[in-house]
This record gives sequence, structure tokens and C-alpha cells, in this order.
Amino acid sequence: MDENSTEMDENNSELASDESQSTPIDNDAKAVNIGSGVRVDGRIEGAETSDISGTLTGTLKSSNININSKGAFSGDMSGQEITISGSVDGEINSDDYLIVNNSANIKGIIEYASLQVSYGARIQGTLRHRGSVQSYTPVSNDEVKEDEINENQEGDQ
Amino acid sequence: MALFGSSEKKPEVKTEFMFDTDSTINQSTLAKDIKINGSLESTDYIDFSGHLTGTLKSSTINLKPSSYVKGTITADTITVEGEVDGDIQAKDIYIKSTAKIKGNIRYQNIDIQNGSIINADLFYSS
Repeated sequence: MDENSTEMDENNSELASDESQSTPIDNDAKAVNIGSGVRVDGRIEGAETSDISGTLTGTLKSSNININSKGAFSGDMSGQEITISGSVDGEINSDDYLIVNNSANIKGIIEYASLQVSYGARIQGTLRHRGSVQSYTPVSNDEVKEDEINENQEGDQ
Repeated sequence: MALFGSSEKKPEVKTEFMFDTDSTINQSTLAKDIKINGSLESTDYIDFSGHLTGTLKSSTINLKPSSYVKGTITADTITVEGEVDGDIQAKDIYIKSTAKIKGNIRYQNIDIQNGSIINADLFYSS
């Protein structure tokens, strides 16, 4: 039955464009998606978009990070645009903007350029504004270019 | 025609004031040229635009964009639009985009607008 059904899917793939689940597409979008209930330990780098609904422990470097309401992260994360709706324990480094939604629960150190926190969010820890703190700049080689752009903005301070 | 006679009368215009003078709320407004060294305490509402070094205590505190407070602020509800260097303790804290905060923030509920500059330790307490 399974073999038949996969053959059917292959034959109908052009017609049944709605059922994209049956035709795996190469993920060229540099997207990481950790589903709810999935546990990952380790290091993620070079991602464009990271959607975390499961549990991730380790290091996450991605331009765009979403920790969804069911998501839990512990470790160090850095990115440009970060949205937190779930729980985070560790360090958050945001080059661009950081949005903390009301369901968020954060413990640790937050370094940000632009921060928005919704009423109801829980944050326990330290907030550091990028423009204000010169001594503390943990920059990896990958992020130097973006930081140079940010430095121009910091010049206004 | 008598039916429409009354429509020629202009409707009574009610002037709305910025705050209700008859209300039981004791609202204090401190202008931006005010400088205080010491402590300022109220049981209701303070609109603060001045400079204060010391302690500020009230039920509701509104720190306006030109305000500067160095010291300790305690209130049920605080809205920060100005600059604070010190400790803030409140049930509800609203930090606006013009705010600049350095120090410690103890809160139950916090709301932060983007644009604000915060270098502080946050302590959540239920």
C-alpha cells in the first residue's frame, strides 16, 4: 500500500500541487525548524531563519530567530531579528531588534540594539543596550559586517 | 415649525479639562525647572518633569521626557519617559521610547517600547 501510494504521489505531484508534504523540497532557505516536542542539543550556525517550537540547548546563530510560545532555549543565541514568545535561559545577543512577547520567560543576559517588551513578559537578568556598552562586544567573525553598520548608528549616541 | 424651534438653540458645550479638579485624585505636577535634593512622597499621582536626587514615592508616577531622577523610585505604577539612574520598584512599569534607565528594576509587570535605552538588572517578582 505504501509503495503504491508513493508512486501515486509522484505521478500526481504536478497536478496535486497543494499537497506539498508528499514532495520534499530542498531547503535552500537556510531555515531551521524545530517542532514542538523535538529536543535538540548542539550548535546551529549560518541559519537565515530559525523557528524553535521544541527544546534547543546549545548555541544558535541565525539572522532571524523565533522562539515560539512552546519553544524553550537554553544557551547562547545571537542574531539580528529575534522574537521570543517562549522560555530562554542564557544569553541573547540581538544586533537589530528584539521583541519579547507577553508569554515569554527569560532568564539571563540580554544585549540589544532595539528592544520591545510586551506587558506580562517575565525577564530576570541583565539588560545591556548595544550603543551604551563599549566594553562588552562578543563579536564573531561572521557578524563583523553587520556590526560595522550598527556602529554607524551607535555614533549618534 | 414649532417642532424645529428648539433646534435653533446651540447645544451646550462642555469643556473638558486635562484633569478633573473635583475628583478625589491628588495630582501633583512638577515642572521641568524644579530641582529636588531629598525625597518626594505622595499617596496618589505625580507628574514629574524636573530633576530629583534622592527618593521618589507615590502610587502612580509619571516621569516625563525632560525628567531626571537619581536615586530610588517606588510606586504601584510607573511610566518612564525620562532618565533614571538608580533603583525602580513597581508593580507595573511602562518604559517609553524616550526613556534612559541605568540601575535596577524590580517589577511584576513590565512593558518596554523600542527606542528606550536600558542598562539595568531586572528582577521579576510575582
